[in-house]
Amino acid sequence: MDDLSGAGSTPTIGVEPAPFDVRDFARTAHGSHREGLDLEAIPDAALTREAVRTILTLAELEGATMAHLRNVLVTATHKDARVTAFLVSWAYEKYWVADALRAVAGAAAPVGATRANDASRPAVAAAPVRARGRGPIRRALAGFAQGSDVIGAHLALGCVDDLVLDLAYARLAGDVPTADGTPDPALGDAIRRIRAIKARHSAFFHEEATRRLETSPRAARLARRELSRAAWPLGAASVSDEDRRSFARFALGGDPGSASALERGIRSLAGIDERTAARVTGRLAG
Amino acid sequence: MAFDIDRYTATSVAVDWSDLDLEAFRREPLPGSSLRTLRYMADVEYHTVCYTRDLLTTPSHRESDVSAFMTMWNREEFWHGEALAAVLAVHGVSIDYDELKASRLKLGWKDRLDPIKQSVLGGLVGQDFVAVHMSWGAANEWSAITAYQRMAELEEHPVLAELLRRIAKQEARHVAFYTSQARERLAASTKAQKVTRFALSRFWAPVGSSIMAPEEVRHVMGHLMSGEEGRRAARKVDDSISGMPGLAGLTIVQDALDRLGVAS
Ligand SMILES: [Fe+2]
Ligand SMILES: [Fe+2]
Repeated sequence: MDDLSGAGSTPTIGVEPAPFDVRDFARTAHGSHREGLDLEAIPDAALTREAVRTILTLAELEGATMAHLRNVLVTATHKDARVTAFLVSWAYEKYWVADALRAVAGAAAPVGATRANDASRPAVAAAPVRARGRGPIRRALAGFAQGSDVIGAHLALGCVDDLVLDLAYARLAGDVPTADGTPDPALGDAIRRIRAIKARHSAFFHEEATRRLETSPRAARLARRELSRAAWPLGAASVSDEDRRSFARFALGGDPGSASALERGIRSLAGIDERTAARVTGRLAG
Repeated sequence: MAFDIDRYTATSVAVDWSDLDLEAFRREPLPGSSLRTLRYMADVEYHTVCYTRDLLTTPSHRESDVSAFMTMWNREEFWHGEALAAVLAVHGVSIDYDELKASRLKLGWKDRLDPIKQSVLGGLVGQDFVAVHMSWGAANEWSAITAYQRMAELEEHPVLAELLRRIAKQEARHVAFYTSQARERLAASTKAQKVTRFALSRFWAPVGSSIMAPEEVRHVMGHLMSGEEGRRAARKVDDSISGMPGLAGLTIVQDALDRLGVAS
């Protein structure tokens, strides 16, 4: 299942799969992972400092759903009941993904490492409300003018954010970041669980964005604009600039082909061109 | 009393009705006017997530409690919508996402908190908006419990009563969160009290007023809150609201019923 969200994998288009079942997704949304995680089996100091820092940053990014919802729901996106129904369970699952990540980071932290965020919940939103991007009011006005085409753009943002985060997950799933260079099965299992959760989110975002961008040139234009303008990853406003940069270095720093794989993934969205994809990787790396 | 957010998130569940015999509604269907009220309630529950836009995130630890709560709260309310939709479905009233979308498109959304938030973003009210938001939430959750209790009393339908009891039990946890947040913020700032008093007395209206047609609001309030019993229930909600720091004397629910012309 987690193959779906593999770093370079381009979601399959052309085959007509059954449409994403939002009600089924809501019914089967996954809560806490604490029982399924084998934290005891993760040895102390299993990970490098860099990897631990990435996991903690991922926790902040995954947990920043309410800020994202605030921004998208002031627009016409709030009218699409199927999308809002999805977002409710999406936020719920991401809350528990963030919780699992913090637990894993705590278990695998190098001895003596400062565990910046070992509280059970996200400590703080580091940036003030309007530090990045447009504030809710401007978004409300812009959203009104753009109407329902903005929904496609928001779904494209969600899709690309999953691709960006998955670069880091893919690297964590490999054996590169462990301190002694050997893969740790318990850690691998934790990352696999998280990628499986995220694969469903990616599937919804990709399917819905594609449908909208294919049928509306205006939605595609808006998506290109939003993708080019956004701070990557999307939850960047809730982490420090240093953590964001460190995250990007980690995400892009594994496989030398990761940036181009990411761009391929982004271009798999209908109407999204090379230039837009390059802007995303540029802003991520910058 | 402090609200234990970790305990809340760890125990937050989708309301379960799988053990309830909804087929009972085929034998004893609810009358049309009750279905109309249920439909309103379901729409309001489904719409809850849209109020995430009222959230202001600011750098403090307490805000992470608010985010954690809202995540679980959104989902619980969504499932309240699904549960009510299941009852409606047995009566042949289906609510699918396209239909919800159509009603959202038709009605637009006159959000009553918007003018206040505009002034927040203009720097006039600042942090005190969060006190307004939390007090507003408390008033809405108290109203929700009251509405479900009234509905259960009026219908005297055992299956409906049990379902509404389960929903209301979750609403009670929502009340606990909002009141603990509101009390703390109100107690800390007389300015927050003043802004909240002003916002509630000037802008508050029964839950759903900003998203449902006025005739639906009148129907639901008339159905649930009219007569002596209805007024008594409204007074109880007002007593709870006015028991919060700096809000003494507020009668926003009774005032709203008067404005709607609901017979007492
Ligand atoms: Fe509810
Ligand atoms: Fe509630």
